[in-house]
Amino acid sequence: MKTASTKMIRLLIFIVLALIAIMSMYPLFYMAFSSMKPTIEYIKHPIALPETWYFDNFKALFYRFSLVRLFGNTVLYVGLSMVACLVVSVPAAYAFAKLKFRFRNGFYVAMIATMTIPGVTFIIPNYLLMSRIGWTDHIVSVVVIWAVSAIPSTVFLLTSLMRGMPDEVLEAIKMDGAKYHQAMIKVVLPMSLPGVVTVSIFNATNWWNDLLTPLIYLQSDHLKTVTVAVATVLNRFSSDYPLLLSGLLLASLPPIAIYIIFQGFIRKGLVIGAVK
Amino acid sequence: MSLKQERWVGWFSLLPAFLLLAIFVGYPMFNTFFHSFTEWDGVNSAFIGLDNFKNIVSNGDLPLMLRNNLIFLLSVPGILLISLTVSVLLHEEVRGWRFFRSVYYLPAILSSVVIGFLAKSMFTNRGVVNTLLENIGLGRFTVDWLNTVPTEFMILILCFYWQTLGQGTLIFLSGLSSISNELFDAAKIDGTTWRQRLFYIVIPSLYPAIFYFTIVNVIYVFVGLFGLVYSITGGGPGYETTPIDYMIYIQAFRSGNMGYASALSVFLFFIVMLITWIQLKISKRLEQ
Repeated sequence: MKTASTKMIRLLIFIVLALIAIMSMYPLFYMAFSSMKPTIEYIKHPIALPETWYFDNFKALFYRFSLVRLFGNTVLYVGLSMVACLVVSVPAAYAFAKLKFRFRNGFYVAMIATMTIPGVTFIIPNYLLMSRIGWTDHIVSVVVIWAVSAIPSTVFLLTSLMRGMPDEVLEAIKMDGAKYHQAMIKVVLPMSLPGVVTVSIFNATNWWNDLLTPLIYLQSDHLKTVTVAVATVLNRFSSDYPLLLSGLLLASLPPIAIYIIFQGFIRKGLVIGAVK
Repeated sequence: MSLKQERWVGWFSLLPAFLLLAIFVGYPMFNTFFHSFTEWDGVNSAFIGLDNFKNIVSNGDLPLMLRNNLIFLLSVPGILLISLTVSVLLHEEVRGWRFFRSVYYLPAILSSVVIGFLAKSMFTNRGVVNTLLENIGLGRFTVDWLNTVPTEFMILILCFYWQTLGQGTLIFLSGLSSISNELFDAAKIDGTTWRQRLFYIVIPSLYPAIFYFTIVNVIYVFVGLFGLVYSITGGGPGYETTPIDYMIYIQAFRSGNMGYASALSVFLFFIVMLITWIQLKISKRLEQ
């Protein structure tokens, strides 16, 4: 009898979880289906499935909004920021995790403390600083701001992972008299690759999804990122919801793809943050 | 490497990171603090003492902004409870729980802008939500969701919940899986009920995770709502749905009141510092 009632309870739990899953997923399906409807059909039947598969919204986006350029821009900015951020963060994290020197803990606390400062407090002076150097409306501004603002959290995550690297291997290279940068590239980087991938996934999706930074620093349409273009350019056609929704769908595909491929890394990264 | 060498390698490894942080975080912060005492349009600044702060307190925006932030703040316990419940249910490991876990996190990977516009399109007058209500015979409950303040807040909070559920369940699930099975089995043998185990074993061992989740999201409702507010309400009507961080954007980049915006930033800075301070206090106590 006990098993029968446990089975009932488990079935009930399954149903509740499935309902929540449907609620979680429905907006995404709605977005996908609506983007394949002509505007009139969308207005008449917002709920129904599309009657025929209709791709003109995507064509319109492609021809009217230089979609390739927007995606190219975003991939370029994200890629450059990732490289810049890692070049600065990996040595710092390694130093915090494995080297002994004076004031190490003091520096570490200072670095972590900057994580808690809200970004809006320094956006105005940074904007003016950039415009004085002549970097506003130029990709450098976005890359620099993205890379720098991600340094503290990147260092934090990499440090806590690098602490787990076996000291014996590192001692062995020191004995061999290997130069610092060789040890960095040949040993430290490969050994901390899972951490580097995890933190880069987080940074890349954050940057891809960021609105404020590119919105403020980039004014020209041909420099915009996908997210900003969706929020500003497409919003001018806000009555044409299927067009807007197909733009949203395209803007979401890269993060969704990253998520599906790298799920395990993302779960691990989140938990590291929570345990500390 | 000798110790002395190691010291220099250590400092040089930190140098680029700290140099960049000094230029793009340290300097701007002092600059913001300084300009919060000035009238400033981005080019010319004139020292006006505490006038900006007096203005914040007296011009009537402050209670409104604080009310708006408070509404979001009060929505945090809700998503905490939902995430906790869902992760306890997921932890029963019924068929398909791994799939559900993945699905719940999916919205968290999307941009606030996408989530915001998506929700906006669903809640328009002739959108899916109203159509659905009519189709199931609840036509009298249809509302012009995007044009009344309470329902606007409801949509914003709904989006916030939708974004956050996956994060919560992942954090709590990892906390749950760290509870030792022996403790659990021993409690079962002692004849405890499911509910007793929930309240005396499961919840207490989740305290650190609950605490972390709460702090992260409390800070988020103060500094992270920009994308949602921008895409759903634009802060309107008037400033009825404008939280502090969005107001800083409006004042600085739409109205050009950079001094006033700086003062607001300083204000927000101290709120976040206060929350962080509380976090440190409590986490020290938890460790003991």
